This record gives sequence, C-alpha cells and structure tokens, in this order.
Amino acid sequence: MTKLMKYEWRKALFPKMVLLVITAIAEIAFLIGIFSKKEMWYGLGIEGLVLCAIFGILYIGIESLTTFSKDLNTKQSYMLFLTPHTSYEILGSKVLMNAISIFVTGAFFAVLAIVDIGIGVASIGGVKELLSFAEAFMSVKIDWNNIRQIALMAFSSALVSWLNIIVVGYLAILLSATVLAGKKGSRVVSFVIFLIISGISSYVVNLVTRSMNEIASFWCTVGCMLIFTVIFYAITGWIMDKKLSV
Amino acid sequence: MLESREVTKNYLRKTAVNHVSLQLEPGKIYAILGPNGSGKTTWMKMAAGLVKPSSGEILYNGKPVGVESKKDIAYMSTEPYFYNWMTVKDVGAYYQDFFEDFSMEEYHRLLQRMELTEDLKTKALSTGMMAKLKIAVTMARKAKVYLLDEPLNGIDLMARDEIMRSILESAGSDVTLMLSSHLVDELEKIVSTAIFMKHGNLVTVCDAEELRMQQGKSIVDLYREIYGHGGEQS
Repeated sequence: MTKLMKYEWRKALFPKMVLLVITAIAEIAFLIGIFSKKEMWYGLGIEGLVLCAIFGILYIGIESLTTFSKDLNTKQSYMLFLTPHTSYEILGSKVLMNAISIFVTGAFFAVLAIVDIGIGVASIGGVKELLSFAEAFMSVKIDWNNIRQIALMAFSSALVSWLNIIVVGYLAILLSATVLAGKKGSRVVSFVIFLIISGISSYVVNLVTRSMNEIASFWCTVGCMLIFTVIFYAITGWIMDKKLSV
Repeated sequence: MLESREVTKNYLRKTAVNHVSLQLEPGKIYAILGPNGSGKTTWMKMAAGLVKPSSGEILYNGKPVGVESKKDIAYMSTEPYFYNWMTVKDVGAYYQDFFEDFSMEEYHRLLQRMELTEDLKTKALSTGMMAKLKIAVTMARKAKVYLLDEPLNGIDLMARDEIMRSILESAGSDVTLMLSSHLVDELEKIVSTAIFMKHGNLVTVCDAEELRMQQGKSIVDLYREIYGHGGEQS
C-alpha cells in the first residue's frame, strides 16, 4: 500500500509545487517588508501567506477528489486498476495520502507562521505585545491553561470532518461512475447524493447529541462522524470491488 | 487456465459481449478476431479484471479474476494509459513497483530493441512509439497470460515483424498469449487458435492447423467468410 501512496503523492505533485512557489513569493515579500520596514510589502506578504495557507489546504483536499474522478473516468485508470491491489487498499491509500498531504501542508504553514512570528517579534517588539495584538486581532481572549484541550479538540474535529467529507465525496464520485454511469446528469445527481448523505449524517449526529453537555456532545459528534466515515468507506470499497468497470 | 463461462456485458441498452464461453490453455497463441464493436476489447478487459461482467464469470485457475489473477495476467490496452507526467523510465519503475514478475533488465533490452530511450516523456510519444512502449513494458513481465489488444496499431509495416518477433521471444513456451488485431494476415503466421467474434457473440473457435489440414482454408479465408470480403482488414 505504501507504493500506491507513493504514486498518489506523485500524481498531485504539480499543484503542491505551484503552491510552494506562490508561498515562497509571499514569504519573500513579507521578509522584504520586515527588513526594509515597508508596510505595503509586509502587508502583501502576510495576506499572500494567509491566502496560500487557507486555499492551499482547501485545494489539496479537493484535489484528491478530482484525482479520484480522473482515476475512474480516464484511460489512466488502467494504471491503477491493473495493479494487484484490492479496492479497499486503493481507496485507503487515497484517503491516507490525502490526510498526510493536508497534515504536511498544515504543519508546513504552521512552522512558517512560527518562524515569521519569531521574525516579527524580533523586529516589532516583545512577545507580550505580539500576543496582545493577536488576541485583539482575533477578538478572543486566549485561555492559555486550556490550550492543549482546545488544540486537541480542534485537531480531532478538523481531521474527522475532513475525512468524512473526502470519503463521502469518493462515494458520490464512484456512484456517478458506476450506478449512474452513462446516464444524463450523473455528475449533478452524484453531487446531490453527496449533499443528501452529508445532511443525513449531520441530522443523525444532532439527534444523538442534543441532550448532552457541550464537551460530551463534541466527542460524541467526533465518534459518530468517525463511525459514518468507516461505514461510507466500506460501502465505497464494496461498490468499487463489485460494480466498477473502468 | 483462463475460462470464460457464459459471460455477458451490457452497457445501458447495448450488449457488448453476449454469453461468451471459451477456454484459453497454456502454451497456445490465440487470435481474437472481429470487426470494431464485436466485443473483443470488452472481453479482454473483463479477463484482465478491469471490467465487471453483467452476468457469467471469468475464472483464472478456477477462481474468479481479481487481485490474484492480476499478478499473473499481463494486459495491454490499445489506448495509451500512462500518466502524463511519466517518462519511459518512470513507466518501468511503476511496473517494477507493482508487478513481481517484471524484469527491468528485459525492459531495458526491449526498449533498446524498440529504439526508445528512458528520458522520453510519454505524453510526447508518437502513436507508433507509444505502441512500442506499451509492448515493451507489458512483455517485460514474466506473466503466465498475456492479453494484447491491437498490439500492431500505429506501428508501420517495416516494424511489425520486429514487434511480433519481440512479443514471441518474450513470451515463453508455457504461457497463454492472446492477440487481437484487424491485421489478420499478420497473425495468420503465428497463431494456433483463432476466436471469431461478431456483435458480441462468439461465432467460432478454430484450430489454425486443423483448419488448414481438414478444410484447406486459412484464417484469412475464414475471416472473409464470416465478415464479408475482407472489409475489416487493412
């Protein structure tokens, strides 16, 4: 499966390189602004970096869905489906590689942000001033005692929600290429299916968690989403195995 | 052994393959013949595990084709299917990563014979060069069954004999080799059994030698009888 993952990474290398180049340009602008004390460059750099981080992570996530669609609907599908691997392995490699790509991209931007904040602190003033500025900017009071729990909750929530979206997206694309193959408007129908599945999942989760307190409700939601993700993964793998013709 | 049992494939209202039953044995070279739309490619894709039959089944050594059969069956599609970012070298590396029976040494030998270099980008290859690359990478596998769909497509007259020689040399004597082609006379010289298909149906399976000895006919003669006056040949 590591070999499948290697090629999943390679397939989506080009957009990652483009993102890296744009980020490098924004970073250079930021550094020019910092060292030359020119606000315009500084502002442009920060804006560019923030946009790269947000849209970069979003695009890398969505890119996985477009690659999957290409793998099902073009002749390049033979490359993947001629290999002696089960549908579950093929699907698993895609999900894992997507999660790793997003994690690596997120970590990259986090490290870059830390470095840039460090440079900013050294250039602008002390840490306290910078944190006060950040708190004022985000209009929140950061509770430093609960930061670990907040970080864990944010990470779990983001991971499970994203995995769920990706797997439901795979299922919808697969339905378009199998059950709905060749039928008029199959892509639109599969998108509607995506919305319906996502809607039903959220409805069920709300139903289960509505009488719980905030923390219990949060973890229960994460658990439910994880269970749904596993179920949708199994269904997608089964359809690929039994129904998919490329 | 590869066995097709009452295999049917329907696409919406069209039947591409209709209740086809046949057996392919080791040590034989099969030609699957028929005009466009006769079901040759669909049958091969089902045997390769790429297309799922609507009914019936294809068995390899008694088990339905799937992950295990893909380790032994080498399929070459008539369409180009390599990733756009690949070079000729990447194609070899990909096959080496996924197929235990792939020989990089044999791949290099075949590339040299086909006059292809490893630095070439696959998306920049001409039709003929692409056909040669597909053959090189497929035949560099020491597979037990080879299914080659239109291997001579896009290859000029002068290179065809060389390509056929490469295919026959690479495939050992104990393997099953199936070729589809419109160029029936090119296959006549090498095949042991011809499978004729028409409109998704299996018309007949005949032993080339028996056909020659008992009926005094060649495969080309039979092809003309079945499909008309050689209208599908080029």
